[in-house]
Amino acid sequence: MAAGTDKVALASKPKVKRRWVWYDDERVLGWGSVALVLVLWEIGTRLWGVSPLYLPKPSGIVVSLLHMFQSGDLHVDLLWTLYRIFAGFFLATVVGVSLGIWIATSKRVRAIADMYIAMLYPLPKVTLIPLLIIWLGTGGPFMLTISFLGAIFPIVINTVLGVRQCDQGLVLAARDLGASQQQIVRRVLLPSAIPSIFAGFRLGLGVSIILVVAAEMVVGKFGLGARLYLSGQILETEQVFAVLIVLATLGIIVTKAQDAIDRLLGRWRLS
Amino acid sequence: MAGPAVAVDIQGVGLTFGLDTDTPTVALGEVTTRFEPGKVTAIIGPSGCGKSTLLQIARGFLEPTRGRLRFVEVSSGQETARPGMATVWQAFNLFPWLTVLENVAFGLDLAGVPKAERNARARKAIAAVDLNGFENRFPRQLSGGMRQRVGIARALVMEPDVLLLDEPFGALDAQTRLVLQEQLATLVETAGTTAILVTHSIEEAILLADRIIVMTARPGHICDQIDVALPRPRTLATTHDPQYARLFDRIYGVLRDQVLRAMVIESEGA
Repeated sequence: MAAGTDKVALASKPKVKRRWVWYDDERVLGWGSVALVLVLWEIGTRLWGVSPLYLPKPSGIVVSLLHMFQSGDLHVDLLWTLYRIFAGFFLATVVGVSLGIWIATSKRVRAIADMYIAMLYPLPKVTLIPLLIIWLGTGGPFMLTISFLGAIFPIVINTVLGVRQCDQGLVLAARDLGASQQQIVRRVLLPSAIPSIFAGFRLGLGVSIILVVAAEMVVGKFGLGARLYLSGQILETEQVFAVLIVLATLGIIVTKAQDAIDRLLGRWRLS
Repeated sequence: MAGPAVAVDIQGVGLTFGLDTDTPTVALGEVTTRFEPGKVTAIIGPSGCGKSTLLQIARGFLEPTRGRLRFVEVSSGQETARPGMATVWQAFNLFPWLTVLENVAFGLDLAGVPKAERNARARKAIAAVDLNGFENRFPRQLSGGMRQRVGIARALVMEPDVLLLDEPFGALDAQTRLVLQEQLATLVETAGTTAILVTHSIEEAILLADRIIVMTARPGHICDQIDVALPRPRTLATTHDPQYARLFDRIYGVLRDQVLRAMVIESEGA
């Protein structure tokens, strides 16, 4: 027992800043492991002479990536994809938050909306692609709709959840201070739901990215998904990897940007 | 405090939930009393007797199922509109995303008071509860006692005709409670506000109130009304007054029976 308490005391004691060592640094570990895999990959493919058709060398992928940006208009594809994702996503944030508040504050609307959400939310949205193509063709309206559909459900559901979880004491306090119904929505329910709403944005944007790229693979002439699919068709494996790298980088940027926004929203965190 | 003195008149007021069901719950039995302007009335009683319910009825947040709630202008005896009311809550209910200043100015902001004026008034109220220098903190950065001082400032800044105190110190530790009771006593004395205080604490009731209403166990109704004639300002020293001890014993005597009854009712209900 005495030894046990000693251990606890020792474990909680070192408040003193410890000497920097590379194997404790999160960034070194994170980026280092990626670099290590790339190096092993490069060496491995060279050593065993793997055909670039199956697994190209990282160096070859980078060359291919630069080439695609320089002369292959990959940046045009990137911009198309980003435009399609964010146009639908932003529309979904506006519609989703408004709809979510409406659903959360009205029993009748909630009763109706519950049915549609229960029907449509679990449905994999890619299964809507054929129907949407019949209705909308393969142009801008189709892409906008598919991105919108991807984002709207998580945003609506999280907004409803956030508003419904609002501390009723805060609503009473606002009423006590003379708030109208509309002021309660704008000044209490909405701000208290902010963390939940942003969690919904995060999920929604993820689904939008997946859906837009998938839709581009099916119908697109431009966009990263289309480029990926076409490169695969002509067995340009290096180009396939290059597009994947662009998509992965996009994912990292989006995730890190959302982390930064979450930190900015610190004042909304309760207690 | 702007308008004429208005009393809150409660006649046979009661509230039963689920009247249309087989198992109606009586939240408040039947209460007849009058909260006089400029006076502090404490309501004390066992848990579940409906004292907070009575406060919510007076505030207009709950509709009584029996009896009548009226606001009477004292000088003319005429019925009048609801006077301005503001509540201090047991759970503080501060808006966590707003600073102390923004919390206190919230009600004025809702009423459309221009920013410069509402901030000036909010700063004055914050100073009145000794929180100068904490204007830009968020509630989570404050201790429980400081949070409730923000709650008090937020209510007082509205200059209510009637201040409603719903177990304001119930969530605080005993020492913080003592200090805040004294501070609140001073604030209420200087403001001359009508106040209704719901509390579990006999000490708090005696220190703050001009009149104490003791309620029975559920279904709650009034079983004793006691005038407190102790001189003001009342401080911790007041608790050494022999008159304080007599009041305490009298209230405790009544309350003890009711609390024991409430325990029996609870165990039967369980």
